[in-house]
Amino acid sequence: MKKRMIVLTLAAMAAFAGQAFAHSPLMSCFDNGDNTITCEGGFSDGSSAAGVKMHVRDGDGKSILEANMNDDSECTFDKPAGAYVVIFDAGEGHTVELNGADIIE
Amino acid sequence: MSPRNLLVALAGQPNCGKSTVFNMLTGARQHVANYPGVTVEKKTGFFDLDDTHVELVDLPGTYSLTSYSLEERVARDFLLGDLPSVVIDVADGANLKRNLYLTLQLLEMEVPTVLNLNMMDVVERRGQRVDVAKLQEILGTPVVPTKAKKGEGKEALKAAVKSLVGKAHGPVYKIDYGQLEDHISELEAVLVEDPVLSVQYPVRWFAIKLLEGDAGVTELLTGTHLDAQKVFDRVESCRQRFHKEEGHACERHIAFTRHGSCAKIIRETVTFPEEKRRNLSDRADRYVCNRLLGPLILIAILFVLYEISIVFGNWLALQIWPLWGALESFAGDVLPQAGFLNDPILRSLGLWVVKSITAILNYLPIFFLLFSLIAVLEDSGYMPRMAFILDRLFRRFGLHGQSTLPMILGGVYVGGCAIPGVMATKAIPDERARLATIMIVPMMNCLAKVPLYLILIGAYFSDVAGSTMFFIATVTLFMALPVAKILSITVLKKRPSAPFIMEMPPYHVPTISGVLRRAIERVWLFMKKIVTVVAAVAVVVFVLINYPGLTDSRKAHYEDMQDAAVAAFMADVGRTGFKDEIGSEDVLPIILFGEAIRDAKRAVTDQDRAALIDAEFQEENPAYYAVARRVGKDGKALNKSLKKVIRVRKQIRREARAERFETSFLGTMGRALEPVTQWAGFNWRINIALLSAFAAKENSAATLGSIYGIDGSDQSVQESMKAGEGGFTPLHALALMLFMALYPPCVPASIMVRSQSNSTKWMLFSIGYQTLLGLFVASLVFTGGTVLGLTGVQAMWGFYALCVATTLIMAMIPTPEEKEAVVASNITQVNTIALKEE
Repeated sequence: MKKRMIVLTLAAMAAFAGQAFAHSPLMSCFDNGDNTITCEGGFSDGSSAAGVKMHVRDGDGKSILEANMNDDSECTFDKPAGAYVVIFDAGEGHTVELNGADIIE
Repeated sequence: MSPRNLLVALAGQPNCGKSTVFNMLTGARQHVANYPGVTVEKKTGFFDLDDTHVELVDLPGTYSLTSYSLEERVARDFLLGDLPSVVIDVADGANLKRNLYLTLQLLEMEVPTVLNLNMMDVVERRGQRVDVAKLQEILGTPVVPTKAKKGEGKEALKAAVKSLVGKAHGPVYKIDYGQLEDHISELEAVLVEDPVLSVQYPVRWFAIKLLEGDAGVTELLTGTHLDAQKVFDRVESCRQRFHKEEGHACERHIAFTRHGSCAKIIRETVTFPEEKRRNLSDRADRYVCNRLLGPLILIAILFVLYEISIVFGNWLALQIWPLWGALESFAGDVLPQAGFLNDPILRSLGLWVVKSITAILNYLPIFFLLFSLIAVLEDSGYMPRMAFILDRLFRRFGLHGQSTLPMILGGVYVGGCAIPGVMATKAIPDERARLATIMIVPMMNCLAKVPLYLILIGAYFSDVAGSTMFFIATVTLFMALPVAKILSITVLKKRPSAPFIMEMPPYHVPTISGVLRRAIERVWLFMKKIVTVVAAVAVVVFVLINYPGLTDSRKAHYEDMQDAAVAAFMADVGRTGFKDEIGSEDVLPIILFGEAIRDAKRAVTDQDRAALIDAEFQEENPAYYAVARRVGKDGKALNKSLKKVIRVRKQIRREARAERFETSFLGTMGRALEPVTQWAGFNWRINIALLSAFAAKENSAATLGSIYGIDGSDQSVQESMKAGEGGFTPLHALALMLFMALYPPCVPASIMVRSQSNSTKWMLFSIGYQTLLGLFVASLVFTGGTVLGLTGVQAMWGFYALCVATTLIMAMIPTPEEKEAVVASNITQVNTIALKEE
C-alpha cells in the first residue's frame, strides 16, 4: 500500500512539472520615431528583467533578432520593415508577445 | 444581556447545512471577521425576534466539543466565555445519530439548546421518519425540523429560540455513565467547594471533562481553582481506580457511552425504510476511496486544481495586471517628482510601498480561483476523502492527509508559490499537522527559486542538466518530510493533535452562490490582513536596503557625472534655435516630460488615440515636446543628445542604487556573515544576493546579475558569473542550490506564515530554522564534499541517498500519537465504528 502510494505520488509530481510562475512577466514597447523600437521588460513583483532573452520574429515566424534585456531592463532595436512580433522570453509559460502592429509611434 | 439584545450561537457538525440555516435566519445582514487571537473565521449576522435584536454567531463546525482542534476550542470557549442565551444546534436530520453526539455534549454543558433537524427533505426522500415529539420529550429541549435550502421552518425556529429565552428550562437529557457515575459524583463534590468555579461552569460537565483528561479543561482548572493540584490528584486517583475496575480508560468509556446513548435515542425516535439501500454517496465512495482508483482520482483532481488555480490563474493575473499597473502610475503621479540622481524620500518610499502591495495584489486572481476551488472541494464533501486517501502516508511524518494540497501549491515538484500553499493549510483540522505543514511548505520549490537553479545548472552542471533538475526538484520533498517529522516530535510535540476521525459526509453538489460567497469572504479577509502587514514590512525592508546611504565623496562623484552629461547637452542646445528657450534647469523636466508621454501611451495601440495624446502634450509645452518627440531638425538633433543624458542618468541611478545596496545595513550583514557562510562556500557577494532574495526570491537572479555585471548583449549571467568567480566549482553551486531550496520564505510568504500560524514567534522560528538548516546542509555538502574529495555530481547523489535514508528512518519512528496509541486509537475506533454503522 505504502509503496504504491509513493510511486503514485512521484508520478503526480512529474505531472506537475509544467512551468508556471507566480509572478507575471511584463513588457511594453515604444516606437521612438527614429526607426527604432524600445522595449521595457519587468516582473509584477518589481524584479528587474536584466539579462532576460528577447526575440523578434518577422511575419513568417522567422527569427530576425535575438538579444537580452540590458541592465536597465530595456532593449532597443531597429524597426523591422514588414510585420513583426516581439517576444519577451523569461522561460516556458513565462513569455509575453507583442504584435508589431500594436507598437505605435 | 439586556432583553432587547440577544446573543444566539449556531453550532453544528460540518456538512450539516449550518451555513444555509445561518443565511436563512439572517439574510444578507452578516459580516465575517476572525475570532480574536486565532485564524478561525467568525461569522456574525442579525435578525429580529419581535422587538428583540438578535446577534447570531456562527460557531465553527465541529464534530464534538473536546479540545483537540482549534475549531473545537474556539466553539467551546465561545459557549463558556460569551454565554449565549440560546444555542441553535443544527443537525443533519438524515444522519441524526452522528449529529446527536454534539447535541448531547451541548446539553451536558447545560447551555439552553434548540435542536434544529435540518435537511428534512433528504430525510423524506430516503424514506426515514423522525418522531419529533418523542425526540423533544427525551431530550427535554425544543426540536425544530427545517428544510433550510427551501427556506422552510424559519419561523418555527425563531419561535423555539424565543421560547427558551429567560425561562428556567426543565430537566434535560442526562447521559447515564454507569460505573463511572460514582467517580463523577466524587469529583463534583470536590469541585462544588470552589466558589468561583462552581458558579462559572457546570460542575457535572467539568467533572466529566476532567475524567476525560481534556487538555483545555485541565488548563481551566489550573487557572481558576485555588488548589488545582488537590483536584488533579483526586482526578488521577479516580481514573486509575476506574481503569483497574473496568479494564479500560475513562475516556474510552465516556466516548462509548455517548455513542451508545445516541444509538439508543435513535432506536426510539427514528424509523428507517425496510430496504436499507446503499445510497449514492456510499456507492461513489467505493471508487473514490478505493485503494487503487482513489489515488488516481486524487491525482487527477489535484492536477485540474493546479492547472486552474496556478496556470490559468497566472494568465488571469496577467490580464488584470494593467489595473495594478495603473495604481502604480497613479502613485507615481501624485507623489513628488523624481530627481535626476536621487528621488525625494517621499517618492521612493511611497513607490516602494505601492509596488510591494501591487506585487501581492497580483496574486488576487490566483487566490480567488484557489478559494473557489477549495470551497467546491469542501462543499462537495471530497476534502475528508482526500485526507483519508493520503493520511496513512502523511501521518508517518506528522502531517495530515490534507497537507497534500498546500504542498502541491507550494511546488512539491517544481512550480508553485509558498503564499497560496501556506494559505491552503487553513483547512487542516489538526493543529500540530497544520503547523508542521506551514513550516515545510516554504521548503517546496516555488518557481521563484527556479531562475537561480537554472543559472547554476547552466553554468556548472550543463552536461547533466536533466538529472540535476530532477535531483533538486525531488530532494526537497525528502528533506521536508523528515523535517516535518522532527518538528512534530520536538517543538510541536505539545501542540494538540486531533485523533483522526474518519467522517464521510454525503456528497453535495456545491451551489455557485455558496462557493462565490466563501471565496469572496476569504479573499476580502486576506486582502485586509496582508495589505496592511505588507505595507509595514515594506517600510522596514526599504530602510534596510537604502541606509546608511552613499558617502559624500561618492555622491560628489555621481554629481560630477550628472553635471558633465548636462553640460554636454547644453553645448548642443547652444547650437540650435532652442538656445534661448532651454536652460540647464530644463534638462530634468524634459526627461520627465518624455517619460510622461511614454506612460500616457503605454498599452495604447490605436494611432489616432496616440496622435491625440501627442497633440495634448505639444500644446502643453511645444519646446519640450519638440525635443522629446524629435520635431524639426533641431528637435531631432537635441533628441539624440538628450538620449545620451538619459543613458547617463539611468546608469548613475543604477550604479548608485547597487552601491547603496552593497553598503546598506543588509549589505553589511552580507559581509559580516562571510566567516559563517564560508563553510558553505558562499562569499559576501553571494550572501548579499541571498539576503536580497529574502525580499522576493526572484531578486537573487537579478542581484547576481547586477553583481556580476551583465551588459545585456553578449555575455549571459552564467558566463559572467563563471568569469567573476574564478574559484567557483560545481560543489559551490550545489551548496548554493541546496541552500536556496531550504532558504527561508520570502517576505510575503513569511507574512503569510505569520497570518496562518497567528504568531510572530512561529514566523521568526520558520525563518530561523530554515536559515540554519539551509546553512547546515550547504556546509555539510560543501565542506564534507571537499574533505572527501567528491565531485559535484558525486556529492549530489551521495546527499540524495542520505536524504532518502533519513526519510525512511523517520517514517519508522513512532509519532506522539502512536505513543499514546491506547488512548487515541480507542477513541478513533469508537468514532469510526459509530460512523460506519450508518
